[in-house]
Amino acid sequence: MRLARSLTLVLALLSAACQRGHSPGERARLVFKYQPLWGDPAPLREHLARFAAENPDLDLRVETLPNSTDLIHQFFLTALEGGDDSFDVLVADVTWIPEFARAGWIADLSDGFPPDALRAAFLPGPTDAVVLGGRTFAVPWYVDVGLLYVRTDLTPRAPRTYDELRSFARAAMERHPSLAGYLWQGRQYEGLSCNVYEAIWGHGGQAPEVGRRILLDTAAARTGLLYLHDLIASGISPPLVTSAAEEETRRVFQDGRAVFMRNWPYAWAELQAAGSPVRGRVGIAPLPSLSGQPGPGTLGGWQLAVNAHAPPERRRAAARLIAHLTSPEANLLMALAYGRNPARRATYADARLRAQAPMIADLAPLVEHARPRPVTPYYQLFTDLLQGEFSAAISGIRTPEQALARAQRQVDRLIGWAP
Amino acid sequence: MSRGAPSRGGSLAAERRQAYLLVAPAVAVLAAVALYPIGAALWLSLHRHIVVFHERSFLGFANYRFLLADARFWSALGHTAYFTVVAVSAELALGLPLALILHEARRGRGLLRALVLIPWAIPTVVAAKLWAWLLNPSYGLINRLLGGADINWLGHPVLALHTAIVVDAWKTTPFVAILLLAGLQGIPEDIYRAARVDGASSFRIFRSITLPLLRPALALALLFRTLDALRVFDAIYVLTEGGPANTTETLSLYAYKTLMRAGDFGYGATLSVVTFLCVALAAAALVRGLGRGWEEAR
Repeated sequence: MRLARSLTLVLALLSAACQRGHSPGERARLVFKYQPLWGDPAPLREHLARFAAENPDLDLRVETLPNSTDLIHQFFLTALEGGDDSFDVLVADVTWIPEFARAGWIADLSDGFPPDALRAAFLPGPTDAVVLGGRTFAVPWYVDVGLLYVRTDLTPRAPRTYDELRSFARAAMERHPSLAGYLWQGRQYEGLSCNVYEAIWGHGGQAPEVGRRILLDTAAARTGLLYLHDLIASGISPPLVTSAAEEETRRVFQDGRAVFMRNWPYAWAELQAAGSPVRGRVGIAPLPSLSGQPGPGTLGGWQLAVNAHAPPERRRAAARLIAHLTSPEANLLMALAYGRNPARRATYADARLRAQAPMIADLAPLVEHARPRPVTPYYQLFTDLLQGEFSAAISGIRTPEQALARAQRQVDRLIGWAP
Repeated sequence: MSRGAPSRGGSLAAERRQAYLLVAPAVAVLAAVALYPIGAALWLSLHRHIVVFHERSFLGFANYRFLLADARFWSALGHTAYFTVVAVSAELALGLPLALILHEARRGRGLLRALVLIPWAIPTVVAAKLWAWLLNPSYGLINRLLGGADINWLGHPVLALHTAIVVDAWKTTPFVAILLLAGLQGIPEDIYRAARVDGASSFRIFRSITLPLLRPALALALLFRTLDALRVFDAIYVLTEGGPANTTETLSLYAYKTLMRAGDFGYGATLSVVTFLCVALAAAALVRGLGRGWEEAR
């Protein structure tokens, strides 16, 4: 009897506890899940606090994700596939949107953010990444683009063609034998894919072409991979690039030990920081190309999307939060406080940006021409296959022909393409 | 008599029924945790199943046909076999002298054994992370000790797999040594005494007495380590994630990447089934070969 009574008591307490979460007087919880930004958290916190003050009916919470992009993707894969509704607004890498949309994990935002309005206000690259089949599935938060860092004291000017890149590097290396020529990211990871796509675009390719079949094994892809391999084989790029990611190359370049480096805009602030050995001797430029036209950089960056598993009223509140986080004011804040490049075109012309962060304002033509990696739901699923083959081709384990043929075969099977 | 026989048969049948009843729970548990997953993986391997997009269709043996011509699979199988043969040989070759030292040591025996076991006691992921830092080309202690050498231990296509083997040998040699030590202690002291009375040299004693009598322990160590090495995942995942250019990718890593990164459950299951078959075959071959060894040892 005593046992039954205490059980009843426990059950009563439990149900009371459960009901408290759903009582109508309580404010609706809204959870924003994002990757931590480097730097002082205060400006973003203040910006979020303004939203909280304007929406007193909401209980806004912020939760951070791990710092590794792969881990974030794995987290969303498990959480969203499992129907997790414990968060409402989420960040997504530029290549994930088609996958998340097709899987039904992120909500259609076309009502609040019509595709045409988005296209008019935002840069073309990120817009293409989030507008799919005429519907909006996410809003660009900030963008990234691959670019060339140049040691202005060692070179006459920034190289426009691959030939100039090689000859400028060689000339500087002859004068200073301890120097490395050109640093880029060749470790087996997503950064390598970005470098390979840039090499393919620089050789006039569109690869990999996405139609019904994702076509990797093209002439431009073979030339692009061969160019990267030859950089190492001819000594323009040191062997360390085959195992280097962004930070490894940035450290060597910052120590003053290289002439050129391909990297993302984040490196600028580090290179120009007080105490940096190359401070004041670095310039940025578009990537070189075969023809001398500015080579397109890979588009990177993060988007904000709404968890489709959240109930409708929370989805509406989530869309309002996204509007607040992607406003022109927010774009400026992200640029000035965190060095993140605005996704809105107009922000690049903003006088405050020109005055306080001229380097970001100067990136306008580069981000305008940034190219997305193949826009396909299968991207994240097959990129891992490609990285292994790209890595084999640049380090000379396989010829580009062999590597691309192997990659093509694996990708065909994954996406279910049959001739 | 005429009633005795059927009644004895009846009691036998009843006993048998009872025996079945008694082992039934164990069989049911085994079936649920071992047979069912294997069956489910086999069934899954006959499908195209991209879990993210809920794509699922029956393929028959198409995944297996693809596998036969999958260059990445054959490289992974080659890396796994090479890793197993070299790592296990090295561990046995290093473990035996270590066991002999531990066996002969008179003073500080307990302390010595505890020290030897440390690498085995550290969780593999922690140990591998530690080694990754030691081996870091720019900031690692090992290159510093080599006088500022610029060796990319884990980034070089040929070096990386061998570095992983060294880390694995460091980690599991103590385990082999302890297994062999147990074997050594099971050898009766009288035989040694008799041999010494007969004037046998130390080497002769080792070759004619220690080694043959240690055979069962050696066989056990070989079996355990081979099966473990064939499934190697954690150390390599932490050290290289299969890179550079998939030159350190083993079967388990390939299966993991196909399942968890590419979200391709059908082909991932195919790879898992084939890995399972390889391990099962190796186990069967070893048990047969070693069974013969045990007979001879007796």
